[in-house]
Amino acid sequence: MPVREKVKKIVAKVLRVPEEKIREENRFVQDLGAESIDSVELMAAFEAEFNIEIPPEEGERVQTVGEAIRYIENKLKEKEEK
Amino acid sequence: MKICIFEDDKYKLLYPLSLTRPVFDLKCGYFTLRERISGNFSEDICYLLRDYLVPFAQKKLPKAVFNDPDFLKSDDILFINGRWLLGKGELCLEGEEEVGVYNDTILYVRTKKETIQSHFSSQFKFKTLLFSLNQIEQKLPHKEFNNVTLITYPWDLVNNNSKILCEDFEYTGKKGIQGSFSPQAAIYGDESKIFIAKSAQIHPFVVLDTTEGPIYIDEEAVIYPHTRIEGPSYIGKATHIFQANIKQGVSLGPICRVGGEVEESIIHGFSNKFHTGFLGHSYVGEWVNLGAMSTTSDIKNDFSSVQVYIEGELRDSKQIKVGSFIGDHSKIGIGCLLNTGTVVGVGAIVVPSGEVLPKFIPSFVWYLKGKFYKGYGFGKIIEGTKEQMKRRNMEMSEEEYELLREVFELTKEERNQLIAKSRR
Repeated sequence: MPVREKVKKIVAKVLRVPEEKIREENRFVQDLGAESIDSVELMAAFEAEFNIEIPPEEGERVQTVGEAIRYIENKLKEKEEK
Repeated sequence: MKICIFEDDKYKLLYPLSLTRPVFDLKCGYFTLRERISGNFSEDICYLLRDYLVPFAQKKLPKAVFNDPDFLKSDDILFINGRWLLGKGELCLEGEEEVGVYNDTILYVRTKKETIQSHFSSQFKFKTLLFSLNQIEQKLPHKEFNNVTLITYPWDLVNNNSKILCEDFEYTGKKGIQGSFSPQAAIYGDESKIFIAKSAQIHPFVVLDTTEGPIYIDEEAVIYPHTRIEGPSYIGKATHIFQANIKQGVSLGPICRVGGEVEESIIHGFSNKFHTGFLGHSYVGEWVNLGAMSTTSDIKNDFSSVQVYIEGELRDSKQIKVGSFIGDHSKIGIGCLLNTGTVVGVGAIVVPSGEVLPKFIPSFVWYLKGKFYKGYGFGKIIEGTKEQMKRRNMEMSEEEYELLREVFELTKEERNQLIAKSRR
């Protein structure tokens, strides 16, 4: 499954939002209603699903679904190159 | 003769409380163990403690001497174990070179200058200094003690609190009502067992019950209506009590905000337990927040002895009543249910899951929905802490920041283990 789809599935599950309503431009806090504790859970879910490490200060900068997809794709690419 | 108050190698048994402070800065009664020991002597004092604690300790006590071999080599020294709950006149300054021992633990070492000079190098490191002290100890005659109080585990402080509160009331010698005392407030029991400091306020519908022990209410403390306080207890400076049921054996403050039910517990400065909820047989560090309705269990349903997480494993406390031990800067969310003998580290963020919390929550972790997370990391927790300090017109010093950073590193492994386990 592509990163895009996996990210949307995780966001839908953690934030309890229908998957089909999630758009890449959606902001986690303002549009999807993520509280700080949801964001902590989201970061952990991304780390577990993609087997990557997200430093908290980098995770905090990711504001939208699209940014999360691109951040994870870059992380996976970096991992492959190593 | 000079004095040296030292930490020995058992400081980990007092984690998480001793992660951010030397063991002798733990409290029992009205005072810290350090204040209790130093109050016995008028001589100059040097402190021997873990190296990473020194800068912040120095910040708090700018004139004090820490881990200084030159000080130790300059005179005869009476080394005193900082875990000793030393009573008035319990230890004599003068005497022969000897080692006081209790249950294989050094209580004190009385040494001549020449002995120290031949064993101590010029190294300022805690471990080196402690090693030198242990070498001296092996060469001097031992004197066994049977009836002393040595603090080994956090519950030792809690269990001794009532007795020490009574002794401290006698020791300070202060009695009477100097502050404002509403005509609608009442004293139940012996009035001579009360001290209310000049700037303290007792509002209407407060009951102070001295039938089981004395009550000391310190400067600028405010006791708001519908509060009952039982002695022995100590309400520290500028501490505010709201609609509370304070039972025996409680030491609070300074500058705490406390409501709900509290029994046999010690709370360090700047911590809040503002609302309803029970805190029993517990020890709470500085800048902790216990949210509304958060509650500790201090006894098991089957009345068996309580297991407590000490040095990486659950150990039998051999105690029937044990509450929670909560490190500095931890935040316990509303409605958290703390299991009997729970240990919460430093700077932890705890969100209730509806169930009883795990018995061990490591430092700087986020616990939510039954799992451990790294959360937003160290930086974000410090940001929150700084905001909390601003509310009390305080600022985090560079020294405290570095101390917390060190504690973050020291506790990394236990934190990461539980976070990884939560992912499985």
